[in-house]
Amino acid sequence: MLTLERVSKHFGGLTAVREVSLEVRAGDLLGIIGPNGAGKTTLFNVIAGYYRPDGGRVLLDGRDVAGQPPHAICRLGLTRTFQIVKPFGNLSVGDNVMIGALNRLRSVRAARVEAERVIETCGLTAQAGAPAKTLPVGLRKRLEVARALATRPRLLLLDEVMAGLNPAELAGIIELIRRLHADGLTLIVIEHIMAAMMRLAQRIVVLHHGETIAEGTPAEITRDRRVVDAYLGEEFVLAQA
Amino acid sequence: MAAALRGRAGALAFFAVAAAVPLAVRDQFFLDTLILILLWGALSAAWNVAGGYAGQVSLGHSAFFGIGAYSAALLSARYGQSPWIGMLIGMVLSVGAGLIIGYLSNRLRGPYFALSTIAFSQVLLIVASRWRGFTAGSEGIPVPFRPGFATLGLGHVAWAYLALALAALFYGIQVYLERSRVGYQLAGVREDEDAAEALGIPSRRLKVIAVTASAALTSVCGTLWAQYVGFVDPFYVFSVDLSIRFALNAIIGGLGTALGPWLGSILITALETYLRATFSGMKTGFAGIYLVIYGVALILVVRFVPEGLAGVAARLRARWTRAHA
Ligand SMILES: Nc1ncnc2c1ncn2[C@@H]1O[C@H](COP(=O)(O)OP(=O)(O)OP(=O)(O)O)[C@@H](O)[C@H]1O
Ligand SMILES: [Mg+2]
Repeated sequence: MLTLERVSKHFGGLTAVREVSLEVRAGDLLGIIGPNGAGKTTLFNVIAGYYRPDGGRVLLDGRDVAGQPPHAICRLGLTRTFQIVKPFGNLSVGDNVMIGALNRLRSVRAARVEAERVIETCGLTAQAGAPAKTLPVGLRKRLEVARALATRPRLLLLDEVMAGLNPAELAGIIELIRRLHADGLTLIVIEHIMAAMMRLAQRIVVLHHGETIAEGTPAEITRDRRVVDAYLGEEFVLAQA
Repeated sequence: MAAALRGRAGALAFFAVAAAVPLAVRDQFFLDTLILILLWGALSAAWNVAGGYAGQVSLGHSAFFGIGAYSAALLSARYGQSPWIGMLIGMVLSVGAGLIIGYLSNRLRGPYFALSTIAFSQVLLIVASRWRGFTAGSEGIPVPFRPGFATLGLGHVAWAYLALALAALFYGIQVYLERSRVGYQLAGVREDEDAAEALGIPSRRLKVIAVTASAALTSVCGTLWAQYVGFVDPFYVFSVDLSIRFALNAIIGGLGTALGPWLGSILITALETYLRATFSGMKTGFAGIYLVIYGVALILVVRFVPEGLAGVAARLRARWTRAHA
């Protein structure tokens, strides 16, 4: 479904992403981990059309989409969320999600119905009428997911939607992602919370200084010497054992 | 839903009163005030399409106003053509100019965009005031009065209803922007462009469309205003004062609300009319008085009711509903 071929992105002298290649097939749930500044968000920005890659190709269903604007890529079925959430603050939660639903629907009425369904799936029904800016952080993250889901993506990119959540919220969002995946959605998930990643992802890619340093199943990743050194640390391995 | 209906009820009341006034009152001064309130409100509604609904705050909309005014005035004064044709030509020219400004809105943000729109209107001012052979330069153009609807030579009552029809049409356009798919998508762009793009919204194209539509509507008002007043003065029609007025009525009335432009217009037009009557002797000092009005009104609104008069009305309504629940 999505293929990256040696994708690079520089900011001035800094190489944020260096020749990253990866392959996502329909039905996959791919995890991306790596230390702060590893280039994870930048990679999402390249895939979703916010940055044009300085090298390499981004193939969506075999078509090179590098250079296409984000809205066009969304219309092709790829939607992303933002690590730093970007709610439409002055609009209600319901309107936020409804605007997402307008991606596939021509009528506002139909989009409202669709939004209500998605809002329920994401557990935001009680807040549907509230202005988005009044939501606490945890619910903003969920709104970010709800709005993206409403566009009916085939491939959903989630950028740290679990950061800053309490254990109950965390369990809720993991459950939600599981359910979406079980229903056939393909996902790429960036996350720092290793425990969550272990439970969710089928495959994990580890980025470090913009490069892929490891790729494999969660079990393989936690045994990888370089990953432990660069990111996980000894404590993690000991805790796992 | 009920709140939305009550919001419309306020507008309905406003337009009903505006429609009834010419039936009851034949006083020219009063009718003139009504016509100006409706016209200035329509102009701010046109501005609101870009500045309020799309979040592209222009301070150069007098450019489009002037284009509309000049197109019709030149056409009727020089070629004896109907101002309606001039209105159409003005719209076409304004769509062209609007595309340029809309393109700028995708290049420049916030204050830089606003400044570039000012510059644009001032360039047109220079052209209109210097191109003596065609525009009569800084002397301006008197618009010939030829009685009849086709030539827009109308009495005060007819003008009042024409201005009312225009106001109702522009109100309807704004309501469409609040309820329609494109309207919601535009709201998304206004709130956060990156997020809107992620949801499949072509933000740049929508902004250009909004700015261009706003330009064309402003031009229509410019034509009507010139025909009503009967004179086109380049230093007035392309002035920054005028651009500020369009923006200010809408901001004072409530940015991005459908009735707001007329609420702001009632306040500013009434104040202006009052001051003009009071200080009518002071010919020279008068020009600056507008700035004083705008400044004071803006400070009061921003300080006490940042959501504008429409917001105050909504708040009062909510309080009333609670008290009577
Ligand atoms: N727009 C930008 N301009 C310049 N440098 C940038 C830009 N965006 C990111 N960077 C830099 O690129 C590198 C990668 O940043 P990125 O945000 O992709 O990291 P990340 O892996 O998402 O980190 P985190 O886990 O903290 O979210 C960092 O060094 C960052 O400072
Ligand atoms: Mg990041």
